[in-house]
Amino acid sequence: MPLDIEQYLHTERLPHMWCAGCGIGIVTGAFLRAMVDLGLKREETVVVGGVGCSSRAAGYVDVGTMHTIHGRALAFATGIKMARPEFTVIVLTGDGDGAAIGGNHLIHACRRNIDLTCILFNNQVYGMTGGQVSPMTGWGDLATTAPYGQVETPFDLCRLAEAAGATFVARGTAANIRPVEEYIKQGIQHPGFAFIEAVVPCPMEYGKRNAPGGVLAMLDDEKARSISKAEAARLTPEELEDKIVTGVLHHKVGRPEFQRSYASIVARAQAEAAEQAETLQSESGGAVS
Amino acid sequence: MELWHSHLLREKIDQSSLLVQGNRACALGALDAGVRFFAGYPITPSSEIMEAMAYELPRVGGVFVQMEDEIASICACIGASLSGWLGMTATSGPGFSLMQEAIGYAIMVEAPLVIVDVMREGPSTGRVSAPSQGDVMQARWGTHGDHPAIVLAASNVADMYRLTMAAVRFAQRFRTPVTLLADEVVGHMRESFSPELVGRYRLTSGDFDFTPGYVHPDLAREVHPPHILGSEAHPHVTGCTHDETGFPTNDAKKSERFLHELYDKVTNHRDELCLYDVKNEGKGRVCVVAYGSCARSARAAWRLAELEGLPVEVLHLYTLFPLPIEVIQTVARRVEFMLIPELNLGQYAREVRKLAENWTTVISMGKIDGTLITPREILDQVTRLIGKYESV
Repeated sequence: MPLDIEQYLHTERLPHMWCAGCGIGIVTGAFLRAMVDLGLKREETVVVGGVGCSSRAAGYVDVGTMHTIHGRALAFATGIKMARPEFTVIVLTGDGDGAAIGGNHLIHACRRNIDLTCILFNNQVYGMTGGQVSPMTGWGDLATTAPYGQVETPFDLCRLAEAAGATFVARGTAANIRPVEEYIKQGIQHPGFAFIEAVVPCPMEYGKRNAPGGVLAMLDDEKARSISKAEAARLTPEELEDKIVTGVLHHKVGRPEFQRSYASIVARAQAEAAEQAETLQSESGGAVS
Repeated sequence: MELWHSHLLREKIDQSSLLVQGNRACALGALDAGVRFFAGYPITPSSEIMEAMAYELPRVGGVFVQMEDEIASICACIGASLSGWLGMTATSGPGFSLMQEAIGYAIMVEAPLVIVDVMREGPSTGRVSAPSQGDVMQARWGTHGDHPAIVLAASNVADMYRLTMAAVRFAQRFRTPVTLLADEVVGHMRESFSPELVGRYRLTSGDFDFTPGYVHPDLAREVHPPHILGSEAHPHVTGCTHDETGFPTNDAKKSERFLHELYDKVTNHRDELCLYDVKNEGKGRVCVVAYGSCARSARAAWRLAELEGLPVEVLHLYTLFPLPIEVIQTVARRVEFMLIPELNLGQYAREVRKLAENWTTVISMGKIDGTLITPREILDQVTRLIGKYESV
């Protein structure tokens, strides 16, 4: 019997392209299960990916899907949502695609609070191009373009998204996937910009230089470092440094959503235009046809 | 905001012609052609287009979004185009540079799209309000890889209206981005205009069909059936070289065929795409080949030449790409000189020379000081050429 998720999956395109041990498939699975639970209509769901390992997940999902250009998935998605508000639009992106080249689009999508769901797969490295440093690579980590160790501090993407105006922000890990599935479901149902960061292991390009224990050790490490928002509140900034704060970190109701706000502008402008046309017609004695 | 260009109030202005700015006429052309989605980012000298769209689009149930940069603007337009709308954006050189990668994407995914580039002088920031035609080759080859391009050039306010309509039609019919170039002076000039005055240029046949998935019957064999997001087919769209399934392919034969098909659907239709007119046809020894603001000067030069008894024709090109090969070669066969005044260092003259040098002498007349080429300058050059010929 086919699995429930197969209705949303291009099974003919399997096996997928990801490396053995990669965490992207785990989160993609959670996304597919969330779609099943929500019963998303395939013809009203659009999944947009950028460029990179995680963005390729879009190509396995059997709904309307776009594999776009590097960093711009949220900009494409904004056009789609504004043109077709009835669509459920989900953006799949990575830490390079979403936080480096696409960082500007990320903060502006948050600021607009447009009703999109953005799932950012954070594997702390550029995997597809062969292990270069990303804005999420940790201090001191090795990468092909940080052969002496990374000396830049990574973002706290969830705090960035919240500060920029996102109204639903959550973080989870591939090591503890059930909550991630739940965050994705809540994010899709949330009427505003939902940002979900999923920390995933990249044993090939990140792990081989930084985690000698292999992918199982990486998953154990993710678990060991994960703490809740409440636990995090009790720690000093120094103690928090290597922790992964998980859970729904921010959920705000009532902030205006962009597409709906624009729809009310359209209604107002159309009413004004109709009124002006009427005035014009009466001024010209009804002569205008 | 003036109300005169308001769609619903147009009857009032049709009674008489008014002074209309080129950029506003562009917005009006877009609205009349049925454009209902515009995303852009402010930049001189094009901003009046987006300001007009910001005001007008909600009045007709459309969508206007000011995005965070030009890259986001064009990507939002492509997203809308793939959702069954037709996206339009307007910019100037720096923004046009930022858009180039996404233009290639639109070509690959066959998204209809209209991009207006109101050109300013120089590379980089240049001189923001000085006219130029420096982006001609960028409009042709700005994005990487072998690709087709449809590039139109406006020379006055009426052109801004009707060529915007033509751009919409071409984009929709051929499912590819169309670039409309305007020199700064064309975008900012104000001229006597009403849509009715250019009625004879109106392209209001059934060509503006925005039905998702629609391919014009006469192009059904050449234009791939569009992938519309959210349709029953729930397609996959990718900028990777792909086959008919929409998914990437590494097959050499399939990718070669696909890239050729993208090219051919444009170049096989030069007759339809190449808009031009010839003044004093067949009566000149010198033909001035011009577009944009220079075409106005060329037309004026021709009138002055008539007074002075100099045999001059003018080939005014509204379509720069695909190259109007036959049009240029037909003229080249009958004239002794082709003179090409441009507000650049001969970008288009090089294209003309490649096509025409077997039959005629091609002279480039470039200028990049941010001032216009005057009719007198053209006439002086014509006089020199003919004089030189006489003295041989």
